[in-house]
Amino acid sequence: MVIGHRSKCIYQQIIRMLQFSEEGDAERQIVVKFVMQVDNYLKRGGENVYLPDFEYYTPDSIAEACQLLSQFGASAKVIAGGTDLVNKMKKELLAPEVLVSIKNLDQLKKIEYVPGRGVVIGARVTHNELVKSEVLNEKYSSVSNAAQQMAHNQVRNAGTVGGNICNAVPSADLPPIFIAFNATVKLTGVNGERTLALEDLFTGPGKTVMTQDELITEVVIPDQKMTGSNYIKFGLRKSGALAVVGVAVAVQVENNVIKDARVALGAVAATPVRAKKTEDFLKGKEVSDELLAEAGFIATGECKPISDIRASAEYRTDLVRVFTKRALRKAIDEGHV
Amino acid sequence: MSVKVKQDYSYVGKSVTRNDAQLKTTGRAQYTADLKFPNMLYGKLIRSTIAHGRIKNIDTSEAEKLNGVKAIITAKDVPSMKWGLSPARFDENIFAIDKVLYVGDKIGAVCAVDEETVYKALKLIKVEYEELPAVLTVEESKKEGAPQIFEEYPGNVNTEIHHKFGDCDEALKDAYYVRTDRLQGQRTYHAFIENHCSIGMWDGDKATLYSSCQSVHYLQYHIARVLGMKMGNLRVLKTHVGAGFGGKLDPTGLDFSAVILSKMLGQPVKMFYDHEETFLNGHGRHAIGMELTTGVDKNGKILAHKFTAIMDGGAYTGLGIASAYYAGSLLGVLYNIENYQFDCYRYVTNLPPCGAQRGHGQPQPRYAFEHHLDLIGEAIGVDPIDMRLVNARQNNTVTTAGYEVKSYHLGKANEMARDASGWKEKRGKLGVGRGIGVGNGGFVTGAGFCQYRTDLPHSIGMIKIYDDGTQAFVYSQAIDIGQGSDTVLLQMAAEAMGIPYENCKMYAGDTDLSTLDFGAYASRQTLMAGWAVKRAGEEVKQKILEQAVEMFKESGRIKEGWAYIGNRELRPDDLDCKEGIVFVKQEPNLTLTFEEVARKYFVTKGVLIGRGWYHPGKLGGNHKGAAVGTSPAYSSATQIAEVKVDMETGQIECVDTWDVHDSGTIINPKLFHGQVHGAFYMGIGETIWEEVKFDNKGKLLNGNFSEYRLPTALDMPPVLSLTVEDSWEPNGPYGLKEVGEGATTPTMGAVANAIYDAMGVSMTELPITYEKVWRALKDKEKNEKK
Repeated sequence: MVIGHRSKCIYQQIIRMLQFSEEGDAERQIVVKFVMQVDNYLKRGGENVYLPDFEYYTPDSIAEACQLLSQFGASAKVIAGGTDLVNKMKKELLAPEVLVSIKNLDQLKKIEYVPGRGVVIGARVTHNELVKSEVLNEKYSSVSNAAQQMAHNQVRNAGTVGGNICNAVPSADLPPIFIAFNATVKLTGVNGERTLALEDLFTGPGKTVMTQDELITEVVIPDQKMTGSNYIKFGLRKSGALAVVGVAVAVQVENNVIKDARVALGAVAATPVRAKKTEDFLKGKEVSDELLAEAGFIATGECKPISDIRASAEYRTDLVRVFTKRALRKAIDEGHV
Repeated sequence: MSVKVKQDYSYVGKSVTRNDAQLKTTGRAQYTADLKFPNMLYGKLIRSTIAHGRIKNIDTSEAEKLNGVKAIITAKDVPSMKWGLSPARFDENIFAIDKVLYVGDKIGAVCAVDEETVYKALKLIKVEYEELPAVLTVEESKKEGAPQIFEEYPGNVNTEIHHKFGDCDEALKDAYYVRTDRLQGQRTYHAFIENHCSIGMWDGDKATLYSSCQSVHYLQYHIARVLGMKMGNLRVLKTHVGAGFGGKLDPTGLDFSAVILSKMLGQPVKMFYDHEETFLNGHGRHAIGMELTTGVDKNGKILAHKFTAIMDGGAYTGLGIASAYYAGSLLGVLYNIENYQFDCYRYVTNLPPCGAQRGHGQPQPRYAFEHHLDLIGEAIGVDPIDMRLVNARQNNTVTTAGYEVKSYHLGKANEMARDASGWKEKRGKLGVGRGIGVGNGGFVTGAGFCQYRTDLPHSIGMIKIYDDGTQAFVYSQAIDIGQGSDTVLLQMAAEAMGIPYENCKMYAGDTDLSTLDFGAYASRQTLMAGWAVKRAGEEVKQKILEQAVEMFKESGRIKEGWAYIGNRELRPDDLDCKEGIVFVKQEPNLTLTFEEVARKYFVTKGVLIGRGWYHPGKLGGNHKGAAVGTSPAYSSATQIAEVKVDMETGQIECVDTWDVHDSGTIINPKLFHGQVHGAFYMGIGETIWEEVKFDNKGKLLNGNFSEYRLPTALDMPPVLSLTVEDSWEPNGPYGLKEVGEGATTPTMGAVANAIYDAMGVSMTELPITYEKVWRALKDKEKNEKK
């Protein structure tokens, strides 16, 4: 009986092996210890609500991961930080039969500047790694600041860039600022890689254009002419609150004239949305308080928020106005903050 | 006049380290859920999934087939005696008989070999209901023809109170200014970190129940009564308790089930809630609809006040009857109001029951009154603090309702808070979007009466000195729920005996091994258990001094002339003992150690024990319901809050806070300030964020800490906590009064008034959320355009 083969250590199978194993005691004890560890890990942290049974794979290469995803199809889910997935499984909103952990794929863990491509961020980079990244703090600290505003420290330690994006939660904090930078995502599947604009990834709440066998492998912030950027997250308390509205902007300002602008809104539509009319309105105009106030009004026409337990649609719409104006002012005055 | 007796205390007034500090900070403290016993089984409650209906059938057959399931019990398997706080409103059964009254109501219990099996079994149990129309708001409950939840509460009115002192209508006629305001509170939740957990086990005809609770005595009383047991056959005890705030005072279905199932199965049974279930267990703060009418003279002196409270009680009564009385009984302590009328209606609805939560019934009425007072002050041009100074109660007075108040320094607290906060420079002068507000509050220091009719004393203390005199074991059923009662009781015991605090050990919260105390509620622990352990300590000291006299006389150390004081022999009162040293007061160099004296006592007379007894005596107030509000001592406090309001988004930030407390002698300043800090945290949360929400079927919407938003550390302002130095309470041991509950009563008023000062619109509904502020500002803008 072999349990060392990492890509095949299957929780259910181990239990089955335990029950039927005729192997020697020493080996059996190793198995028992391992199962206890898995068991404790799975039970930890929640509200004593138990995870349903699942098979667990830890592939050693991206290709192997894609192969597993392709093999198990809709019954498989990728697990990285697990901050979203495990909760959903405990609440029985999701019941994947197979979890493909990408924890051994260290090539997805990097943040680096690649001349000619831009800042390349691996999918397994955590929020706190974005917060601490020297590359980002030097070039686009607005990204670090956006990451800093998500959830609690514990979640930021575990939750990854790839997870934040591919869960396609409308209120996610990273997509708006990435979209404002015109970022792209690289998707890798069994048939190879493809790259697309991040804003084209989302099709609805929890929905993307990704196929079942695809992984997000990296996010790229291309080289920018933008002189400033900012993300404002409005939650109902200072920490541990989902965005009621998130507004990200990037601007290129020369001699007090807006040469280029990108505005992305979170939590106010089924997906993160670009406020293109607002962008067009701003381009070529001289910066003034009136201009920014007007831009805020235009942005309200570009969102379709819903009313829920946290805020009414009417409130969210007005917040889009306020924070578009404020985020623009900050990006214009203070650069990438 | 109360006179502060200046004394040089060794431990009283010192911030000694909590006795449980190391255990808790290193994670070694064991809470009930951490306990494991051989062969222990696990259980959970079966809960209703509908708000109101008749149970037609409970099919447990599938669950019973599940490997590992040991027992499933429902109403037919358990005694049907009802329980509650007051006999006229015993309305709750262990498990629902025939009818369920809210989503989450107790239907039965499942017990299995492990937790996972329990969860699986719960999913296999099928309950068939005949659904009845539900009432989910007071408005629906009040309506004519509304569905009746209980036969015994016609019109769904669970409690009705009408208090009338003086003649309001007559007094209002002469008033310079009369104003009526309507304000609305919300349902909140205690949000303690440790969920309820109970473990039952039996040995012969004797049961033991571990429970995360606030009173082992009341739990023992209720369970023994319902199960038909002698109290002596039921040992109730607790380990460390991860807070309670009033939510662990009523017995839960877990307590009953743990005792019953462990008897049935002959194995220990652990019953537990998860967070959502704790929300469903409820017993948090009532949402109160409040109408206030007040008449004042030109200076703001209150001539008459009428207060009507409409309370959403949820499904059962429990402590809710006391909440209803507390809603109106303490206003007359705070302010001197000769003509006062209080009308209260507590309705039942098909939601989890409401009950006691820190400040019990009082915080929302305090918010309403404090805001109302500011609106009156504004109308007649009197500064808010001056309004309060004019009306504040004085020392040594009797309230209109007949409550005797000894020490009371509310006026001084207002003045100190005013000066510390820079009130005069700030009020009305901070500009748009920034404001400062004041609120007053206070509380009983222990309820004057037991929760059930009895002639028992309220607290008994016992101290046993270890054989060699090195340790003192202090016994009390006082419950340390995190407030630090064990520590302050040990401080007082050490002070009374005159031995080092470090040598004292607490045995608390065990009905078999410690001595009677009613537990942690009504801010009673420090005063009532304090008297008992202080007196026990004094008895120990008396015995030590008597023994020391003998030893001085026998020893050759007493020189000629020193066995005598003047013309008489050395007596115990010529001696004293401090920090473990017994000495002759006139010759302090002549000493013995406590240890040697205590050891000698043990050798010659047997175990050295001190005993203390406390009963507050008959306290005043003769009207119906007067019992709720009586107390040997009343604290008072002034809080000031400064806030920023974002005038475009409605976002509120509480930027600074001040608290001045009239709490008598402070036994442990660090714990005292901790109480004030925590009270602000709770009060600010309830002002701005917290609210338990349900959908239109009565289903809980936010039974978690993501959507039931408590403030985070980042949302907390700095707290400056001060005390009124002259405060000394003759009815409290060492002159002390409470801080725990009273401290949370001024906060909502202070923060709400600061918000009003910042935004210029009166917010009359809690919580004052960002969106409500935004909407109010939009409405104001619209009205101004018109």
